Amino acid sequence: MHMADALVSPAVAAVTGAAAVALIAVAATKVKKIRRDDIVPLMGVMGAFVFAAQMINFTIPGTGSSGHVIGGVLLSAVLGPWAGFLTLCSVLIIQCLVFADGGLLALGCNILNMAATSCLLAYPLIFRPIARHSFKPGRLIGAAVAASVVALEVGALGVTAETELSGITALPTSTFLAFMLPIHLVIGAIEGVATGAVLCFIAKYRPETLCVYSHSATTGKSSRKMMVAFIIAAAVLAGAFTWIASAYPDGLEWSVEKASGLTDLPSMVAPTAVMPDYNSTFAGIIGATIVMIMLWAITTLLFHRTRATQHKTVKK
Amino acid sequence: MKVSRLEQAIVALNARQMASDNDSHIAGIDPRALLVVTLIYMIAMLSVPVHSVGMLIWFAVYPIVTAPLAHVAYERVFRDSLYVLPLVVVIGIFNPIYDRATAFMVGDVAVSRGWVSFVSVVIRGLLSVQAVLLLIRVCGFNRMCEAMRRLGVPRVLVTQLLMVYRYLTVLLQETLTMHRARTARAWGKTSYGPSMWGPFVGQLMLRTFERARCIGMAMRARGFDGSLLVSRPSRWATADTVYCMVWIPVIAAMRFADLSGIMLHLFRV
Repeated sequence: MHMADALVSPAVAAVTGAAAVALIAVAATKVKKIRRDDIVPLMGVMGAFVFAAQMINFTIPGTGSSGHVIGGVLLSAVLGPWAGFLTLCSVLIIQCLVFADGGLLALGCNILNMAATSCLLAYPLIFRPIARHSFKPGRLIGAAVAASVVALEVGALGVTAETELSGITALPTSTFLAFMLPIHLVIGAIEGVATGAVLCFIAKYRPETLCVYSHSATTGKSSRKMMVAFIIAAAVLAGAFTWIASAYPDGLEWSVEKASGLTDLPSMVAPTAVMPDYNSTFAGIIGATIVMIMLWAITTLLFHRTRATQHKTVKK
Repeated sequence: MKVSRLEQAIVALNARQMASDNDSHIAGIDPRALLVVTLIYMIAMLSVPVHSVGMLIWFAVYPIVTAPLAHVAYERVFRDSLYVLPLVVVIGIFNPIYDRATAFMVGDVAVSRGWVSFVSVVIRGLLSVQAVLLLIRVCGFNRMCEAMRRLGVPRVLVTQLLMVYRYLTVLLQETLTMHRARTARAWGKTSYGPSMWGPFVGQLMLRTFERARCIGMAMRARGFDGSLLVSRPSRWATADTVYCMVWIPVIAAMRFADLSGIMLHLFRV
């Protein structure tokens, strides 16, 4: 579900990035208030654990394929929703910066689609009310499946909305949703079973480590507060996205229109005699490509020369 | 012998950690300057209209020029960026199907707007990944975290990032050890069934708790005050200003000037 930079426009990246920054700021404040001595090292090592656990695929019976855990609900069950959210954010940032998995500008989208939906939406509103304080495997797995399905479906909805609003794909929204939602329903169910299996194991051998049973067990009142906060955030985001999708010109077009008084700007491309039969768009593409190849060749030559000089210096 | 995803991840992580300790021409640039230029580059590149492929190609100037400055061959950065290709192709491949209006003619062949936007999505995907790869290659993760802290990112998040990065290799190695132990006793069976996977990852999690407890005790014994020391904070120097002052106008020219048109005008016969 990691979105690449190529799939988002700067406006969508700005809105989702602002929402993600606000959530991170709230999470940072909440985490500071947690009265648990080992919270900092536990969050750090749990982040690394999620990374490692994602490398161990499990087989999906009857399909011949395999899947892995994403970890939002699991982290929240151990660390609590806000600490879990911050930990998953750090995993997403490292995946983006170190492994180039998910874009830098799309980080806000990825944090909202994956971390916020699983830790701040599905965990407090779905997992905790179903799991309550029960150690029964059936209840734990049921809660994990329901929470994971909701998190993945809302995340898939987010991916569709962000890609469509960015104007990157020509795929109609309904068709896009028809692709995304069923796939993520299945993935969510599988993720839920995997999360439930780990939680059952932990509940059996180290139940005191699960946040849902011990530390800062939140009441129904705070769940309601969180739901209200989510509704407000959703309304704000919807308003912002509506602004992005408006029919008015973008900032650049607006300023050029204001400066020149023209609404339909003429092309500034001069007629060319090099490729007279071709459209200027095509000629532009070819020309730019040739320049890039030349630039690549020149920099490669310079690079090899620098390396060769360094090798000679080392030999001396 | 087939290399597992775990081994691939460990190799990739080690490669990144080693690669960042270079003495390239721009290694001394303040990470804040590198981050700002990268962000401006990406915003400018992603704001190019989806059908303006000609304008988009000019943005390759940045990685092509920066790669040698960072002592890395552009071919390698390009090859690494191909990782993102499947995702962008999956999203972009529908454009030629749904958008069949003619964009331009090449001789008698009509090229549809859908194909143009598909190529545009692929180029955007590759260039944005290349920019991020170069950023982390030049800065290194620790210096990047320092830059984030000085740019106002909450201290708890920066500490968390450093902790995860520090223990990533350790936990990946531990997982690999468990994986090898299991594989050695599995009589050639490499996959994990649902009944096996839960206890396996659960065991890993129990080990994680134990490790966190030890680390926590060690950190408190050394007077941990809530934040980790990153490295010696770098100071903003003239070279950093020059780096920004060179790249920002170049990026602005790539975004706002019709470079393809200018070039065609210059070379017209």
